[in-house]
Amino acid sequence: MSNFESKIDAEDSVATLQRPDKALMWTRGLEKSYRKGSLAVPVLNGVDLEIEAGSFTAIIGQSGSGKSTLLHLLATLDAPCAGEVHFNNRRIDNLPAKQREKLRNEQFGLIFQFYHLLPELSTLENVLVPKMVQDGFFSYLKNKSNYLKRATELLEMVGMGHRTTHKPAELSGGEMQRTAIARALISDPSILLADEPTGNLDEENGDEVMETLDRLRQKENLTVVMVTHDNALAQRADAVIRLISGKVA
Amino acid sequence: MYKLLLSWRYLRTRFIALASIVSVTLGVATLIVVNSVMSGFVFEMKTRLHGILSDIEVAAPLLGQISHPEVHMRIIRDVLGDDIQSMTGVVRSPAMVTFTVHGRQMTQQVMLLGIDDESFGQVTDFHPYLQNENKKEAFTFNLEESGYPEYVRDSGWEYRRSKAQQQKRIDLMRRQQQAYYDTVAADYIADNPQLYQQTAYTSPVAASDDDRAIDYRPLPAQAPDFDKIHSSNQGLDASEIPATGSYTGRDGKTYRKFKPYDPHAEFRTQPAAEDFFDPEKDQHTGIILGLAISKRKTLDEAGNKRDFYMVRPGDDVQVIFATVGQNAKPVSENCTLVDFYSSNMHEYDSSFAFVPIKELQKVRGMMDPLTGDSTVSSIQIKMKPGADLDKARDALIAKFPPEQYPYDIHTWQDTQRPLLSAVNMELTILNLLLFMIIAVAGFGILATFFMIVVEKTKDIGVLKALGAPSSGVMSIFLGYGMSLGMVGTGAGIALGLLFVRYINQIAEIVQVVTGQEVFDPEIYYFSEIPTIVSPMMVALVGLGAILIAVLASVLPALRAARLHPVEALRYE
Repeated sequence: MSNFESKIDAEDSVATLQRPDKALMWTRGLEKSYRKGSLAVPVLNGVDLEIEAGSFTAIIGQSGSGKSTLLHLLATLDAPCAGEVHFNNRRIDNLPAKQREKLRNEQFGLIFQFYHLLPELSTLENVLVPKMVQDGFFSYLKNKSNYLKRATELLEMVGMGHRTTHKPAELSGGEMQRTAIARALISDPSILLADEPTGNLDEENGDEVMETLDRLRQKENLTVVMVTHDNALAQRADAVIRLISGKVA
Repeated sequence: MYKLLLSWRYLRTRFIALASIVSVTLGVATLIVVNSVMSGFVFEMKTRLHGILSDIEVAAPLLGQISHPEVHMRIIRDVLGDDIQSMTGVVRSPAMVTFTVHGRQMTQQVMLLGIDDESFGQVTDFHPYLQNENKKEAFTFNLEESGYPEYVRDSGWEYRRSKAQQQKRIDLMRRQQQAYYDTVAADYIADNPQLYQQTAYTSPVAASDDDRAIDYRPLPAQAPDFDKIHSSNQGLDASEIPATGSYTGRDGKTYRKFKPYDPHAEFRTQPAAEDFFDPEKDQHTGIILGLAISKRKTLDEAGNKRDFYMVRPGDDVQVIFATVGQNAKPVSENCTLVDFYSSNMHEYDSSFAFVPIKELQKVRGMMDPLTGDSTVSSIQIKMKPGADLDKARDALIAKFPPEQYPYDIHTWQDTQRPLLSAVNMELTILNLLLFMIIAVAGFGILATFFMIVVEKTKDIGVLKALGAPSSGVMSIFLGYGMSLGMVGTGAGIALGLLFVRYINQIAEIVQVVTGQEVFDPEIYYFSEIPTIVSPMMVALVGLGAILIAVLASVLPALRAARLHPVEALRYE
């Protein structure tokens, strides 16, 4: 990330906003409200946060405090009503759809509470999906052996090397989540965004998943943002952002 | 890549969707079967309709004539040029054919065609429809010794001879019987002369001139010798006086016997034996009848249907028709049936009879006895393959406008226009209806796909979260629709082609199962169901079905593409 730091001074496209040092991703004044009929329900009321490169940040808050919505905004899955999201010195919340898709595919690794594996595909194929999305038909076939090697390696790393041909329906929750982690890492992302990765798992499986995540973070030097409601899990993080009724407390 | 992989996986794992395309399969199969069978029928029917009709006919009205047909043909050749393959003149007349069945006279109305032995077969498909093998090869109007088909095996010269001999035996028996009666009567008369006063009998026919009272004339001193004059062609020789045949009258003068010209001399001499018409050796003018004219349905001992032939080759028939001209009179001709004609078109087989054109021209007064010039009723034209018949017909109408010429000029299709257009309309409507079936199947796919999209909402959300564009998600479902359509269409084409291939066997099985005759060859005149598979038609049907499947998946695919990733992921 050294080249990133050197570039910061040259960047002045967002002169009105305070530009934090060392932040890989930062937001200013994020607001989001959902419409329920004619009523606007505010979820986020001006969230400012910075995520440093290589850090492990936990976003914690009560149910309905807007932590999942915040993660979706960070991942450009949704657009904020007001405010900005910056990543790698670039404003990303207003990018055209195509560039946001590329960003999600190549820079972000996403992990969900309900794993969200594709039930028709085997473990290995699920891990390869981001690569299939990234490449065209022929370039995928050309690079397939590399991808296969990397996917197998990742599955070994998350302890799923022995179950590459199984369908998600044949896996336990912990196994599915570890597969999802491998899928999130296949593109070598700069940042891993996890939405309650252990929320659906028992304690044993949850610990296992967290350990896997920790191990990988050390090994791959990952920046991780994790949304959770569990204070105990948040203890593992370098930085904790507490969200209370749509604001950073 | 993920689009192909997921389309393929969905195809393999969603059996309910496969069920929804069964209707596509059935629709495609039905379309192929119906089209093939209809094409087969239309082709066979057209071939048969065309059969003995020439491509174009220039016809004079009934009882009318076209004089100088060779001049007309020359003009026609000038108008149509090289498109003409061949032409022939035909004499056409409504007629009645009478034949004797077990001593009872049967009369049927026919259309009598006088045809030229050689050129008629070049203009129409006449010869292949003849039943005698020899006549198909070398056509004549003579009765054949052999070559008649199985169903009238007992035909031809042998049959005619045995029939004539039988008739002679019957005649002989009748005469012997009569002679016996005569002797009995004579004996009775001799025994009872008083009952039968014999009156003088004088023959009404004059005896020979030699025995008659001769008109005697005085012999001139220098009587001409007609024989001498006739044979030598010289002048009279007065010195020659006939030595015989003279007579001296009571006045002492010598008279020459004069033998007047006897106009009936030929009737007084018995003709030679070979000049008698002997049915054992001779035939009348040959006639060919449509097969349906001569046969009737009957039952055999077991109660099965069987054909009964009222008249068969070798029998004599009487043909009555009208002469041409202003004072048309019926004339009657004896003809000998020499063959049957069967085009399997009932309309033709039950109405046409063929005789040699020369005989008909002679009897109907269409031939000048001095010059031999003859007229015809119509000129039949065969065009080269691929020639535009309608254009040719219009050109001829322009050359012979009905305002000036009494000719009816038409193509064979004009003759059968109502039937052909009815069949064409039937085919169009059937195609439309059957395509509706596939369209209905399309709505089935639409509904199934909507359900699959709803079921896959979460997966769509994941794919979008992982960076798949809306177009990619859309193409998954379009690709799925297309592969479903292809599977359904492929199965349909295979099923349809198999059905067409084994349609006759299937018809038999259906017949056995239901007891209902599916395909009665007697009605359709085809021995089996005719089919023609056109690759173009199969390709079009397949493409249409796939297109419908793709169109039906457009809406669900659009819906999938429009799904918001956050909404989709939250969906539970």
